[in-house]
Amino acid sequence: MSKYRFAIDVQFKSSVRDPRGETIERVLRTEKGLPIYHLRLGKSIHLEVEAENEVEATRIVHQACEDLLVNPVVEEYEVRTL
Amino acid sequence: MVYPGSNCDRDVYHALKYVGVDVNYVGLDDSLDGCDLVVLPGGFSYGDYLRPGAVAAREKISHEVRRAADRGKLILGICNGFQILIEMGLLPGALLRNSSGRFVSKWVRLIVEDVDTPFTRNFKSREVIKLPVAHGYGRYFKTDSAIRVVFKYMDDVNGSDDMIAAVTTEDGRILGMMPHPERAYEKLLGGEDGLKLFTSVVEYLRRNAS
Repeated sequence: MSKYRFAIDVQFKSSVRDPRGETIERVLRTEKGLPIYHLRLGKSIHLEVEAENEVEATRIVHQACEDLLVNPVVEEYEVRTL
Repeated sequence: MVYPGSNCDRDVYHALKYVGVDVNYVGLDDSLDGCDLVVLPGGFSYGDYLRPGAVAAREKISHEVRRAADRGKLILGICNGFQILIEMGLLPGALLRNSSGRFVSKWVRLIVEDVDTPFTRNFKSREVIKLPVAHGYGRYFKTDSAIRVVFKYMDDVNGSDDMIAAVTTEDGRILGMMPHPERAYEKLLGGEDGLKLFTSVVEYLRRNAS
């Protein structure tokens, strides 16, 4: 068994309003004068999986996303290895 | 139901006692056998970690709730309880951070949209009632256009689609609502419009038991 490290990036779907992101974007633009648009505040989850190989580890990460970490009704996610 | 972080369980207990029924607190390792109504109270189960209700919905006891639902038991989820029912997939949609970005704690006016459920049979159709809300994640995101809406806000409270405050299943036996009827069952609490919800459900159960 080996250990594999992953990062999961969870974001709201574009159809879902993100009031926190909107507020942060507004402050950056109006208070800081930066040309910043479409800011979305999501979540980043880092974790370690124990598995026989990387394919199996990736499968387990996706299962964790579908079982708990991501709400597919309003969120989408990407997985990358660390 | 009492999850770690529930904080309206005692209010629900007293509201149900007030209408004269036997009430038991149910913890994570208990069984729901023998009960006619399951109430998931408000609060901040597991500190709202990840998403409100997400962790509680995956506890073993939540499988008991699902089993009770399968057997046609009545289930009421209030506030965080509503969030848990949605995370369990027993009700459709999602509850997101209020569009204002702020926690909202105040009395709100609601319209009773559906009086054909066990929970709302004592209300008049389109009756306007007042109940308190207290939530940061109450923005109902609608995914099912045919959803049965039970209560709607009269004023925009949190940015919910169609001003939805409460939804139920097709058979009306599972109700999820953001407002707190258990904080408004007698005058001493500042209002008693929540009482009819509890009398509705108790009368319904008594009628069907006899």
